[in-house]
Amino acid sequence: MFWRSTLLENTIVSILLVFLVVAAATAISFRNVLNSVLALSVFSITLAVLFVLYQAPDAAMAEAVVGAGLVMALFLVTISKTRAEEEAD
Amino acid sequence: MRLRKIAAAILILVLTLALVGAIAELPSPDERVSQSALTQRIIGKGVVETGATNLVAAVLFDYRAFDTLGEATVIFAAVAGVVLMFYHAPLHPSAIGLSILAKRSLDVIGPFVFVAGMYIVVYGHISPGGGFQGGVILATLTILISIVYGLQEERRLLDPRFKTALESSAALLFMTVAFVGVFSGEYFLSNLGAGFFRGHPGSVLSGGAIPLLNVAIGLKVGAGLALVFYSMVKKEPE
Repeated sequence: MFWRSTLLENTIVSILLVFLVVAAATAISFRNVLNSVLALSVFSITLAVLFVLYQAPDAAMAEAVVGAGLVMALFLVTISKTRAEEEAD
Repeated sequence: MRLRKIAAAILILVLTLALVGAIAELPSPDERVSQSALTQRIIGKGVVETGATNLVAAVLFDYRAFDTLGEATVIFAAVAGVVLMFYHAPLHPSAIGLSILAKRSLDVIGPFVFVAGMYIVVYGHISPGGGFQGGVILATLTILISIVYGLQEERRLLDPRFKTALESSAALLFMTVAFVGVFSGEYFLSNLGAGFFRGHPGSVLSGGAIPLLNVAIGLKVGAGLALVFYSMVKKEPE
């Protein structure tokens, strides 16, 4: 099921897959941790869209709420706490 | 350091080859569905044997309900670990929240998000979604409340002891439903064989034990993840 039926579907899926790899690459190349976390959030949303295009709506819903919502909120809380302790030094 | 990078590169290469080999096993666009016996059994007899039209929920809560019990245990252990770690952190008194515009907006939109989360949980056996997805939406709603109204207000609305009680009773509901199968002569986590109400597939009251398990998992995951967030934010940095 990697290649779809029509050219339009193939184009859209290929663009999204390339964007996924680019988002992952930028997530590991930022110096600032906050920018990394935001790139990871973009990665999660693109992955959720890809899950929908591959006809897996349950997985897409789980990925969207967990990846782009809860995990990113927890990441931001952790970053704010550790950065505040760093700036206090 | 150099050796570690080479080892990491080799590991990534091996994993990539394994994943590409697995993708090659997926069915081609000509045959839409895999022809393996397991897939054909689930697709062919899933609705008849479980009474639920969402086959993913039928697999998660009937055919493979034991794995869902394992996942619930993992989430329970993670929540317990985080709460234990942050147990003695005090609540910072001056958590004020955002402006009145944001507060009034959440007044209007908050109940709809709650209803959307409950809808995804309750209709998990009919349409895509299920207990886990709806539960995480409810947990995200509590995060939204604690950002907009401030942590003090959120603690007043939803006491952490209430969240703990909700999580534990949802886990007890799951285990009760699971043991009904044992006490009625069938196996652990049996669905229709244990006498649960089958109903008309496609309606809300159908699917046997699947809606009950959905609600249990939804409340458990929602309360547990809300508790994790609350435990981590409770001590504001000075």
